Amino acid sequence: MKYVSGYTLWLVIFFVIPLIIILSFSFLEKTPYGGVNFSFSLEGYKSLLTIGYLKVFWRTVWISIISTLITVLLALPAAYYIAKSKFKNLLLILVVIPFWTNSLIRIYAWIFVLGNNGIINQFLRFIGLIDSHIQFLYNPWAVILVLVYTYLPYAIIPLYASIERLDNSIFEAALDLGCSKRKAFFKVLIPNIKTGLITSIIFVLIPAMGSYAIPDLVGGVNSKMIGNEIARQLTTAKNWPAASAISSVLTLITLLGVILFVRNSKKEVLN
Amino acid sequence: MLGSNVEIKNISKFFGDFQALDNVSLQVKKGEFFSLLGPSGCGKTTLLRIIAGLEQPDSGDVLFDNKSVINIPANKREVNTIFQNYALFPHLTVFENVAFSLRLKKISETEIKERVGKLLYLVRLEEHKNKKPSQLSGGQRQRVAIARALANEPKVLLLDEPVSALDAKLRQELLVELDNLHDQVGITFIYVTHDQAEAISVSDHVAVMNNGKIVQTGTPYEIYESPANNFVATFIGETNLMKAEVRETNEEFVRVFAKGIGEFECYKDKEVKKGDKILLTLRPEKIKISSKPLEGLNSFHGIVEEEIYMGYQTKYFVKLDEGYILKIYKQHVNYLLDEKIIHWKDEVFVSWNPNDSFIIEVEEN
Amino acid sequence: MNPGKFSRLITFLILIFFYIPIAVVVLFSFNASKSPVWVGFSLLWYKELFTNSYSIWKAFWNSIIVAISASFVATALGAFGAIGLYWGKFKGKDYIWIISYLPLIIPDIIIGVSLLIFFVFIKLRLSLFTIFIAHVTFSLPYALMIVFSRLQDFEYSIIEAAYDLGATEEIALFKVIIPISFPGILAAFFMSLTLSIDDFVITFFVAGPGSTTLPLKIYSMIRFGISPTINAISTLMLAGTIVISVFMRKYLKYIF
Repeated sequence: MKYVSGYTLWLVIFFVIPLIIILSFSFLEKTPYGGVNFSFSLEGYKSLLTIGYLKVFWRTVWISIISTLITVLLALPAAYYIAKSKFKNLLLILVVIPFWTNSLIRIYAWIFVLGNNGIINQFLRFIGLIDSHIQFLYNPWAVILVLVYTYLPYAIIPLYASIERLDNSIFEAALDLGCSKRKAFFKVLIPNIKTGLITSIIFVLIPAMGSYAIPDLVGGVNSKMIGNEIARQLTTAKNWPAASAISSVLTLITLLGVILFVRNSKKEVLN
Repeated sequence: MLGSNVEIKNISKFFGDFQALDNVSLQVKKGEFFSLLGPSGCGKTTLLRIIAGLEQPDSGDVLFDNKSVINIPANKREVNTIFQNYALFPHLTVFENVAFSLRLKKISETEIKERVGKLLYLVRLEEHKNKKPSQLSGGQRQRVAIARALANEPKVLLLDEPVSALDAKLRQELLVELDNLHDQVGITFIYVTHDQAEAISVSDHVAVMNNGKIVQTGTPYEIYESPANNFVATFIGETNLMKAEVRETNEEFVRVFAKGIGEFECYKDKEVKKGDKILLTLRPEKIKISSKPLEGLNSFHGIVEEEIYMGYQTKYFVKLDEGYILKIYKQHVNYLLDEKIIHWKDEVFVSWNPNDSFIIEVEEN
Repeated sequence: MNPGKFSRLITFLILIFFYIPIAVVVLFSFNASKSPVWVGFSLLWYKELFTNSYSIWKAFWNSIIVAISASFVATALGAFGAIGLYWGKFKGKDYIWIISYLPLIIPDIIIGVSLLIFFVFIKLRLSLFTIFIAHVTFSLPYALMIVFSRLQDFEYSIIEAAYDLGATEEIALFKVIIPISFPGILAAFFMSLTLSIDDFVITFFVAGPGSTTLPLKIYSMIRFGISPTINAISTLMLAGTIVISVFMRKYLKYIF
């Protein structure tokens, strides 16, 4: 027990208590320059029910779900190919390098390529096809593109790990029993890598739901997500109860999502 | 002798609601090779861990040389264990694994070298002393575990299924080695196994355990030849069990009637009277199979239902006229090709000496 | 079953997708012009970076100081935590696992916001120290799980063997458990370093004036628009990443 105490104490003080604090602050009154008055109020939550906020919530959800879907659908064949490839060590390194690369650099790379002064626009201007620029960025699809780019390695790695662990003979058995390759993929592979699949979905969906830097840098006014709104309430608007309320709702949504998702998948596995 | 005698007194142990050991008592003599034999879950490993000090009993006592050691923690008890998976330290070389306990005692480097050298010689691993456990074969790992456990010069060595992880042939070799080692070091060995052949072949005494209790203690010979009950008879070796009813008794023998067989005589090793229901055991290798009945023996007619040729012996399953199926193991003492061989569906006679069938359980009438 | 043409195609498209933008960034870090039109090879922007970018280097050293100190503390606490969870038998283990998994499930921005409010609430001035606390906090669960997964490679009997051979608790800890978990401890340390150097969102909230880290600096530079200096920093960081990835390969199995 004594060995765990430092670890536990640290997490309780700097993780659990701050979470409890924002949850409690979300029920308090705001003061004009940041901070809270210690009297009960539901103003923080009431402001969430405006049309503007509901739109941001809805946008966050659909952008995250679409990004996750694209990411996992791309990751699945890639993870499978890498796990079965003769060059799997090399391919794995090639996937891991972007994983370790600073995320801001990866966002910057896209701004550099697609930005209003990026190389594509410069090139098009250079050959005289356009006068000013084509705006590739600053819309929800740019956010989705960069989310997929950023989180694809996060999805490939757990899927790779669970496919690699599988005994190859189960595929051989499936083929031997007359299964087509496509059927074997869906009837044998997918059910056996459920944990990897869940992990990779969680690894993509959660950071996407809470993303701040990507919509901030490549999204426009019409593609702000919850993360940006939390930051705005905290810094510019100085409305701590509102920031706390949005944070609490976001935490609740992700936690409930994860719990329901994991529980349902477990049930399916058991059935 | 360097070993201790070990006495287990009324040990009980619960894991939650499950009673792993139920009032177990046991005596192990100084320097003997003692086996705890039983199916998995019978409590034998728990008992071993209690002797090692790795587990505390709920009640009862453990004595080494008549002194209680129950309050001495594992790291101070003069007993060492060979774990089932060997539990070698993967980060240390063979030499350092063996030297582990000596280094804790602040012994001089020269003495450590000498003592570890001797132990590695004993288990024939001198050439491998600088290897890591991961570079060794299963048999070599086991020998490192032995040397490491002996380095401390324990008075009792505990062995928890030490050969079960190895393949059958290697198992036999290592068993013989263990036996030789025991003769050389002379300390008390307590050996846990679920394999009756292992226990019988190396032990001085065997305790058979089932459901947390000791069912029978004795020499391998006693345990095999006169099992105390149904469980021991079937767990140790193979046997034919027969339910029968007593018809007549005299000084030495009982005349019984068994459904599916008929009337025959068996040895009276338990006091019975007419009308008692009894359970008899008859080892398959004690039965003779022939084309004619044999005089002076219990002899019955039947048909060979199944014949399994094993090289050194043949196993027959003979269905008697009344319906009982008898297992018979025939050793091939003669050159087989010269003999008239008994085959599937042949009509045969099976015969056994009344001495070889005896009573293991009695249900009084 | 060998993978079909489809999965091969996808894999190669993904790799192209991964590397084209990065390659372009690297290429243009050697461009002689300020605008992203190739005019010729030059080390101009590296010279600029090494001689004329005081604030970038200040941010770089801030990042290094935080990363090393936070990784040390997180690895030590996490490793002992893992050892305790592996070794000990006590009630409440489940709760420790829950508070270990929560930070991995909850979005980073929530951790950043809650720590910011916490620091302001307890009147702790925002500085490198608050960044250090935040980085230890988000690295801890990773460190714990990496070391724990290494320990799980061993059966518990190895500790019993140490006791059986006369070891006390301290000896079992220092001569057996810490040495066998060492590859995991090393992996945990590198993982913490990488997480710390990479983190932008949490640091963004808990950084105060004068405590800018490299990602914060890069962020503010990106907001000003594209600049070849960013390309040069990116190239250098990428080179660092590749070196670390190759080095880390050995320890990857404890991370995933």
